[in-house]
Amino acid sequence: MADIAPACHGSILGDTARQLAHKIATSSGPGAIALNITNRSSLDDKSVREIRSALEAQLRTEGVRIAQPEQAMGSVEVILSESLREYVWSAEITIGSDEKRVALMSLPRPQAGVPSAAAMPVVLRKTFLYAQERPILDAALIEMTGGSRLFVLDDTQVVMYRQQSGRWEPEAQLPIVHSRTFPRDLRGRLLLRRDHLFDVYLPGTFCRSGASVPLTLACNASDDPWPLTPDEGSVRAFFATARNFFTGALSPGMGRISNVPSFYAAAAMLRPNYTLWVLTAVDGSLHLVDGMTDQVVRGPRWGSDLAAVRSACGSGAQVLVSERGDPERDSLRAFEIPDRDPVAASSPLEFDGSIVALWPEGSSSGAVAVVRREDTGWYEAYRISLSCGM
Amino acid sequence: MRRIAFHFLVACSFLGSAAAATRPHYGGAVRVQLQSAPATLDIPANAATADYWDATRVLALIADNLVSMETQGRPQPALAIAWQNDSNARHWQFTLRRGVKFQDGSAFSAAAIAQILAPLHPDWHAQSSGDTLTIDTDNPLPSLLAELALPRNAILKRTASGLPVGTGPFRVGEFQPGKLLKLAANEECWSGRPYLDEIEIEFGKSLRDQAIAFELGKTDVIEVSPAASNSASARVRTSLPVELMALVFPANSKAQDPRVREALSLSIDRRPIQSVLLKGAGDPAGSLLPNWMTGYSAVFSVQPNVPRAKALLADSRLPAFTLSYDPRDPQAQLIAERIALNAREAGITLQVSLSGADDLRLVRVVLPSPDPATSLREAARQLGLPQPAVRSNAVEDLYQAERTVLDGHPVIPLFHLPVAGAASGRVRDWDPDRRGEWNLPQVWLEADSR
Repeated sequence: MADIAPACHGSILGDTARQLAHKIATSSGPGAIALNITNRSSLDDKSVREIRSALEAQLRTEGVRIAQPEQAMGSVEVILSESLREYVWSAEITIGSDEKRVALMSLPRPQAGVPSAAAMPVVLRKTFLYAQERPILDAALIEMTGGSRLFVLDDTQVVMYRQQSGRWEPEAQLPIVHSRTFPRDLRGRLLLRRDHLFDVYLPGTFCRSGASVPLTLACNASDDPWPLTPDEGSVRAFFATARNFFTGALSPGMGRISNVPSFYAAAAMLRPNYTLWVLTAVDGSLHLVDGMTDQVVRGPRWGSDLAAVRSACGSGAQVLVSERGDPERDSLRAFEIPDRDPVAASSPLEFDGSIVALWPEGSSSGAVAVVRREDTGWYEAYRISLSCGM
Repeated sequence: MRRIAFHFLVACSFLGSAAAATRPHYGGAVRVQLQSAPATLDIPANAATADYWDATRVLALIADNLVSMETQGRPQPALAIAWQNDSNARHWQFTLRRGVKFQDGSAFSAAAIAQILAPLHPDWHAQSSGDTLTIDTDNPLPSLLAELALPRNAILKRTASGLPVGTGPFRVGEFQPGKLLKLAANEECWSGRPYLDEIEIEFGKSLRDQAIAFELGKTDVIEVSPAASNSASARVRTSLPVELMALVFPANSKAQDPRVREALSLSIDRRPIQSVLLKGAGDPAGSLLPNWMTGYSAVFSVQPNVPRAKALLADSRLPAFTLSYDPRDPQAQLIAERIALNAREAGITLQVSLSGADDLRLVRVVLPSPDPATSLREAARQLGLPQPAVRSNAVEDLYQAERTVLDGHPVIPLFHLPVAGAASGRVRDWDPDRRGEWNLPQVWLEADSR
């Protein structure tokens, strides 16, 4: 059975209650019964009132009157329960000295709801983009002819969604064909391009979209390095095809440096005369690479993922960093690096789960974060934007 | 001892929560201790529940199934990526995943799977054709996917010395029967190389020994009594109830009268036993299947009713019955004695004994599948009851099938029980699923340099 959309949840509860009432009436026959309803499920009080109301109304329609126990010919004990899959409502019907009879109804449980969407230089905001059961690796939001499009990359496909009536409707599904086994902590990058729509980088696999409609996606085995920033002329780094990190080999390099320790993520912070690269190394250390030197910064316990962003706030260049909350509630925080020591530039922006991907947007004015929710296990993509604080 | 372990586990939880949101690291070895001491790496027929869980945890690291089941009972692709069946569920066709190899390098093919399944299910007709496997049965098998997802249907071969060779994330490196198993990462695993390089499993460790080793930092992952795990520790994970504790009547039992059996069931006050002897773990049960599978367990009463029990026995002259229990189950004796005490109030004499012929047994059985029909059949099989006919997983069909099994009280359900495990603070992403399956292929170790 399909899950119930929250909007039609109420009417389905009422319909199911009426069906249960019909079963009760068929079993009990007309007359007066004592009715007791116990809620042992996750249904809220409002839903239970609605169920009671529908049940009683239908019983009356079928000639069964609700009465006090001493005035009733029998009793009906209704229990609203649930399994992991569905709501299960049982009615134990006892009429006189007859043996108890049981009537049962079930209906699917709704999916967990999707969440609706400081005295620091920067205030972080998250805008919900999309949620799905399969792991989202990256997402990109762009304006195109006919309105906004959202591209969502997962391990099997890129799906292009078009916004219609406030919902993202799939417009094209482009399968990713690959011959190499993907690693367990799969990472992937979807980069928008000028001469065609986008490129996809996956461990050991590269895909390039067509430039025209109908959209196509051509994938091939590739060990080519991944761009570290959205710019086409970016520094590129080789990704370990059976792991979840960059090997540290660069092409072209960061200035004169063409080899750095293996790292998970890199952020490029533009300085007047050079680019300061911030790397989260696999060994847990933080590296600052300015093109000449590679300095290890001990101290900050940042997460593995980071993304550089540009804003009109503070110094104008911030790096978004993932941090672990309590428990399994990750957060993002903006930092500035005025000299060599990172300084917090925003309050933490919390998520209901673990951050599993964080990539800068094409314009570097924001980032895309993917969160795996603790409660449902679903993956949610958010656009992270910055505004100036106090 | 239990208190010491509890405090240590709580301390571990604070250590674990201080880390930042890091991506998984590759490398390292995790040390595991288990109660069982298996002579071979397989699932013994009619295993004690602890042995069953240990065997399935080990085999799940080595082998995969054609399909897996989510906790909600939905089938998911594993070695098979697609399937279809005819309208009466007698003909099934599976499309197999490409690019999979057994750990010995041999080809994973439909023919190989047909060969593996044939001795496990002589009544199935498994045939191969290219990437396609077909299974035909004489009788409808609507729960075939759930059956294929059971641990006993893992797709594995055996070496000449009997060691399992599968397609899973770890391969057997060294096995000392009853003592030690070393598993090494399968670099070619279709689902991705695991993060750990190695898992070292020590067998034959009692829960007490495991707790001490855990406390001393000599092991990383242990089994925990669910009773002890009702703590707030983030490092202890307790499953949904996946075991049934019940009283079952052997064929030669002197207690053949259904009224006597019903009276015994009505005499048992399950809640004090659950809250005291089981330390609050699990749920009192009147049904074979737990509520998380069916949603209707409240219909099966667990309330004691001694006056009604006495009324049922009014005209009966009862002999004393012998109640036996599994001596390997550390809680069984106390629970059996408490049941005997309850029974006496209703006029039934139970002698708790491990010697001589028994009239009823206190047993634990595994509910191995989130698919309720499959778990009902498995429970009936382990309890020695006739196989129930379950037409579908529709709630009415399940209820009727379960009610039919319980007609005449051949078994008295007592408790639905969870299983539990704990991991040390250096084990990251320790997140066993809600059915108690450990996710060791997904865990990784904190880098020493951090």
